[in-house]
Amino acid sequence: MTDDVLVVDSLVRRFGDLTAVDEVSFRIAPGETYGLLGPNGAGKTTTISMVAGLIAADAGTVTVAGQPMTPRTTEPKRHLGLVPQELAIYPDLTGRENLALFGKLQGLRGVELKGRVDEVLTLIGLADRAKDRSKEYSGGMKRRLNIGIGLLNRPTLLILDEPTVGVDPQSRHAILESVEALSGEGMAVLYTTHYMEEAERLCDRIGIIDSGRLQAEGTRDELIRLVGGVDTIRLGGSGGDLTAAAEELRLIPGVERVEAERRSAILTVKDAPALVAQVVGTASARGVTLADVEIARPDLESVFLHLTGKGLRD
Amino acid sequence: MRQLLVLTGSDLLQRLRDKSVLIFALVVPMALMSVFNLVFSQADDIEIKPLTVAVSAPADDDLAAVLTDVLRSLDGADELDVTVEEVDEAAGRRQVEDGDAAVALLVPDGFGPAARAGEPVTVEAVRGDEAGLEADIVLSVVDGFLKQVAAGAVTARAGLAEGVAMTDVPALVEQATTGGPAYDLVRGEASDEQLDAGAALVAGQAGLFLLFTVGFGVTGLLVDRESGTLARLRSMPIPGWVIVASKALVSFVLGTVATAILLGLGGYLFDADFGSVPAVALLVLCATAAGTSVMFLIVRVARTSEQAGIATSIVALVLGIGGGAFFPVSATGSLSRVLDLNPVAALLRGLGTTSGGGGLGDIGVPVAIMLGFVAVMLVVSRLVPDRGALS
Repeated sequence: MTDDVLVVDSLVRRFGDLTAVDEVSFRIAPGETYGLLGPNGAGKTTTISMVAGLIAADAGTVTVAGQPMTPRTTEPKRHLGLVPQELAIYPDLTGRENLALFGKLQGLRGVELKGRVDEVLTLIGLADRAKDRSKEYSGGMKRRLNIGIGLLNRPTLLILDEPTVGVDPQSRHAILESVEALSGEGMAVLYTTHYMEEAERLCDRIGIIDSGRLQAEGTRDELIRLVGGVDTIRLGGSGGDLTAAAEELRLIPGVERVEAERRSAILTVKDAPALVAQVVGTASARGVTLADVEIARPDLESVFLHLTGKGLRD
Repeated sequence: MRQLLVLTGSDLLQRLRDKSVLIFALVVPMALMSVFNLVFSQADDIEIKPLTVAVSAPADDDLAAVLTDVLRSLDGADELDVTVEEVDEAAGRRQVEDGDAAVALLVPDGFGPAARAGEPVTVEAVRGDEAGLEADIVLSVVDGFLKQVAAGAVTARAGLAEGVAMTDVPALVEQATTGGPAYDLVRGEASDEQLDAGAALVAGQAGLFLLFTVGFGVTGLLVDRESGTLARLRSMPIPGWVIVASKALVSFVLGTVATAILLGLGGYLFDADFGSVPAVALLVLCATAAGTSVMFLIVRVARTSEQAGIATSIVALVLGIGGGAFFPVSATGSLSRVLDLNPVAALLRGLGTTSGGGGLGDIGVPVAIMLGFVAVMLVVSRLVPDRGALS
């Protein structure tokens, strides 16, 4: 794809003996939201630091909007909007002054600058607090301003580095809604997170990164297929004998395996929600009184566990 | 260029809104100047008290009479209030013991002839317990008179030994005992490079706090790195040097303005005149450049803004105290030459020159020292491993 907004090719970055990023490659198309999912220390921030031209790569290339990105190049940065993990705003400037400062540095001026600052203030819901110094804002307002600065130049590629870390649930929800809206407007988004739910909700494609290496990438369903794509149904009985029902349960179409004991059973099935009623009915017909039924579907956490042997929050 | 001005202007606006720069750059040094001025001005205010000198001298000794006249002539000179009372020896001693006279001068019989002949003779000076600085002045005058008399006797003997005619010897003695030196000391236009106590306090505090003030600019790079704004700035379509240059410019503007205000306001309040405005302005610009250059070294080795703040304080105090910001500092040997290379010392020396009447042409050495310091700091900051915000 020659019209990809971002092309990352075999990127390597070392810090002494540590290889923080090791042969990482991925692409992002216009309007696509790509998630880099990995635990703390996986190499996400180092990767986006090279993508944003903050640090140089030891090997590999980054191309933004068809132009090579390095710390010394300025032209590809015109297409970039960066939202760092920290609140990268000046506390002694007002919301409007913060936006105007970064707008000027991005080359906006005059009527265009003022108009764009007004638009972004409205977009992030800070129009009525624009004249207040940002140190007087709430945590959520600061987060919104942090994101708003990244949107000033209508970037072709927006990079969000863990924008919801340390954010209250309400602000987090607002941020996720904003990102969904931006990708809907055709903006390519590179989103790093260690929250599985955010990656699943926002991202068209996800790259799973750990120990500096991109372990796998694809859509959510593509990644889940890596772990076999099967669900499990757990049954817990308070009366009767589940081993007596095991043979009949195995005969249900879609059930692949049954491991049963007297009071509990684990069924491996193709589509748990579709089969659960039939499974419960069969067990009850064999005189089993069920105390609980639990469905478990594979998620990105399972994928990460499958690929790396550890959890996302380890 | 536009981006450089935008960044600099924004940074200066923030520094003004953040009152700490105003406190460190102006309020604290002005307060210290006031305190030190109150303390040291009292120490400098030496009171010269009226003084009575009891003189016991032989009545028929013309040289002793000259000595008495010399003492009388001190009255009214350089704020001295001297009363000479001619008494006998016993009365002289008693007056000193009773505190009625500060000094008793006991000239023995035969003083004049003995002195002229170059023979040993003792003039006894009895100093009272309560006698102060004024008594020391009188005694030093007496000492000088006696040395001149001795010089006359030596001259006469040397003249005779060299075959000078007896008729010419009195003239030689006259010249040796009453004549001045054969040369004139003419006060030139160049200054003595010494600030008076009040001016030294103002200049010293201005030089010391200049080093704190410039820290608000360059070390702001570390604050920006910690807050994430440096990453955001570096993701903007601007060359990296613009970010660094804007911080240096902020340091330079803050340092120059604050030092100018401190020298101007301090000079007005504490009656210190630093002389030629263009020369003082050049010194301030060079000192600010020197202070800013140190910050580039600090920002390279400090990992955090807190470390940078501590390093700035250490550097400011070492250079400030070593440069004489609080009191004159002198050293010998190699240390003396090292102290001479201190930009604060160079600033103070330059201001001493201008306050003494020197102009642009007279401050070449301190200006060269400060600019040399800038060059050395910039070279060293390029050579040391970068652990700070510039990495």
